[in-house]
Amino acid sequence: MKFWRSAQPQGLLLLAPALIVYGVFALYPMLNVVVLSFMRWNGLTADKVFVGLSNYAGILALDPVFWTAFRNTAIWTVLSIVFPPLVGFALALGLDQKIPWRTPLRALFYMPVIIAPIAVATMWRWMYDPFFGLFNAVLTSLGLQGVIQDWLGDGAVALYSVFVASVWQTAGFSMVLFLAGLQSVSKALVEASRIDGANAWQTFWHVRTPALRPTITIVLILSTINSLKAFDIVYGMTGGGPAQATQMLALWAFTQSMQLGDFGRGSAISVVLLLITLAIVIPYLQWALRREERVR
Amino acid sequence: MSGKWLRRLAASVAIVSAPATAQAQEIKFWTLSFDNPKMAKAFETIIHDFEAKNPGVTVQLENRGTDEHKSALRVAGGSDQAPDIYFMWAGLGLGGEFIKSGLALPMDKYYAQYKWDDEFIAPALSFSKQYSGGRYGLPFTFRGEAVYYNKALFEKAGISAPPTSYDDFVAAAEKLAKAGVPAFTFGGTVNWHVMRLMDEILEVQCGPEKHDALMAMKVNWADEPCATKSFEEMHKWTSKYFLKPFMGIDNNQAFNLFLAGRAAMMLEGNWLVGQLRNANKLADYGLFPFPGASRLYGFGEYNYISTKSKNPDIAAKFLDYLESTPVQQANVDLFGGPANVNKNVKSTSTEPLDLAWTKIFGQFNDVFVNGDQAFPLDVTTEYFRVINEVASDRLDPKAAAGELQKFIAARK
Repeated sequence: MKFWRSAQPQGLLLLAPALIVYGVFALYPMLNVVVLSFMRWNGLTADKVFVGLSNYAGILALDPVFWTAFRNTAIWTVLSIVFPPLVGFALALGLDQKIPWRTPLRALFYMPVIIAPIAVATMWRWMYDPFFGLFNAVLTSLGLQGVIQDWLGDGAVALYSVFVASVWQTAGFSMVLFLAGLQSVSKALVEASRIDGANAWQTFWHVRTPALRPTITIVLILSTINSLKAFDIVYGMTGGGPAQATQMLALWAFTQSMQLGDFGRGSAISVVLLLITLAIVIPYLQWALRREERVR
Repeated sequence: MSGKWLRRLAASVAIVSAPATAQAQEIKFWTLSFDNPKMAKAFETIIHDFEAKNPGVTVQLENRGTDEHKSALRVAGGSDQAPDIYFMWAGLGLGGEFIKSGLALPMDKYYAQYKWDDEFIAPALSFSKQYSGGRYGLPFTFRGEAVYYNKALFEKAGISAPPTSYDDFVAAAEKLAKAGVPAFTFGGTVNWHVMRLMDEILEVQCGPEKHDALMAMKVNWADEPCATKSFEEMHKWTSKYFLKPFMGIDNNQAFNLFLAGRAAMMLEGNWLVGQLRNANKLADYGLFPFPGASRLYGFGEYNYISTKSKNPDIAAKFLDYLESTPVQQANVDLFGGPANVNKNVKSTSTEPLDLAWTKIFGQFNDVFVNGDQAFPLDVTTEYFRVINEVASDRLDPKAAAGELQKFIAARK
């Protein structure tokens, strides 16, 4: 009651449409997925049978692909919180300098972010073609036939080949966030450090980097969330193959539900993925926020 | 005054109800994307002519890629937005899944009404009788699969005639390898392409009866020596006689490599004749059934009426028109050529490859279907995985049958 008495009516009014949309299109489906994970349902008939935890037992103990997808998702996540932010940060540092063509270059590096992932997948699939693709053609022309790979057909390298395409597409997003962060660093602070005798590295490490902490937190959280739900670029480039070697949890959940018609198992995989995401993101967010407060 | 008012009211009701009537006469037909522009044109004409013969009826055709079609159907099947007619393969696998879930309407009354049993060839009709609870779907095409070969490359390797036994076939592959020619090209990204070779080898190694029992999961894969032998044979082909790399390309890329003379053979369906014709390469290729198999490898494609259809009678009428002798005869080259499902339709082609298909269709009395249409969907996915693992040297072929059986045994 106290909550409602203290609430600002205009605030609630402004939030209401967004809350309704969120409730209908995000919260309800999420809860429904949890319910479905305890059911057996083929998605076509009205018959949903309660099966307890058997979908979870099925994916954890009997599904030969689940743990491959789990391992791939873990590798993808670790790579995603390292490489795209690092590349984005390097690009942001470069484009924060006074260099010619700075604005068009910023647009150029951001461009891949606005391309549909499925188009990116198609483009990179062509480049990776083992017979007529760009990469093998370049390697051949350089006399490096020994390095030629079946980039998307060899289970040992396919995941990393797809990941390179993902870095190309997503680094621009980190770059924009880092650029915004760099530009928000107080020029007076930077100037003061130089007057105090700090060199370029010391200014970067002791002044600019601490000021970038909120940006780093956001970039890492978004990278983690996006990497855990990696789907479209993998679907477009390999479909999870060869022999499920690039299968990911989100894609496997989709495959189980939409292609194999096992919505129970598909939902159980989605719930596992949701729990993993929450288990990583919530503690990190709490830690980062506490550290922010201590700094203030 | 009141009469005038009533007339206006009646006119308004007529205007308002007119679109509703038109809406009620609309049927939605979902099928796969056409890879041949001539097929799209043919369907446009067929629909136009059907609409002209049936005033007030409209047919909305929607095309999708294979996987998108399956997904869209699954989503729509759970709502009231499902199409009136949908394309799906025949058999217990893909087609059976939708029948089992209640999306397909039993069509017994339409079979009787339109006398379809008198109009279609028996092998194509047989799939409609596989299910309990009635007749489902109407044959659209009947596809046979066999080995296409590049005549010049066979000559280069010193192979004077197509092999007739499996041992001869392996010997021919060895001759090709010695001449520096990969025997086969396949595309591994689409799982079902390499699967075809495994299906054929299973048929040869196990024989029809055991092969059927394996696909029906009535016998234990791990206990059947022929199943293990088949995986070993398949691995021999993928490791020694395939154009490499193959796991990172799809069936279309494999076809382009075949056209470019990079490999001697492809295991493809009768639809490839049209593609070779479009490429002006018909004369360069020959055809023979997979050596050692006593049944023809093939499958049926059906059109089903949905239980969600508000106009099943019109849907049946459209299917009857689509499969009628005049329509099929007018488009015989597009609808299967010598393998047309309508028994009254005659292929007019004198092309050697079409004639070779006519001979092959006449040569076999029985058919076995592709693995992905024999197995339920989840087992198909595992079958693909095991085949691909063996093909990419990531799984010992001796362990492959056991791996598949492990999955089958753990099913709900």
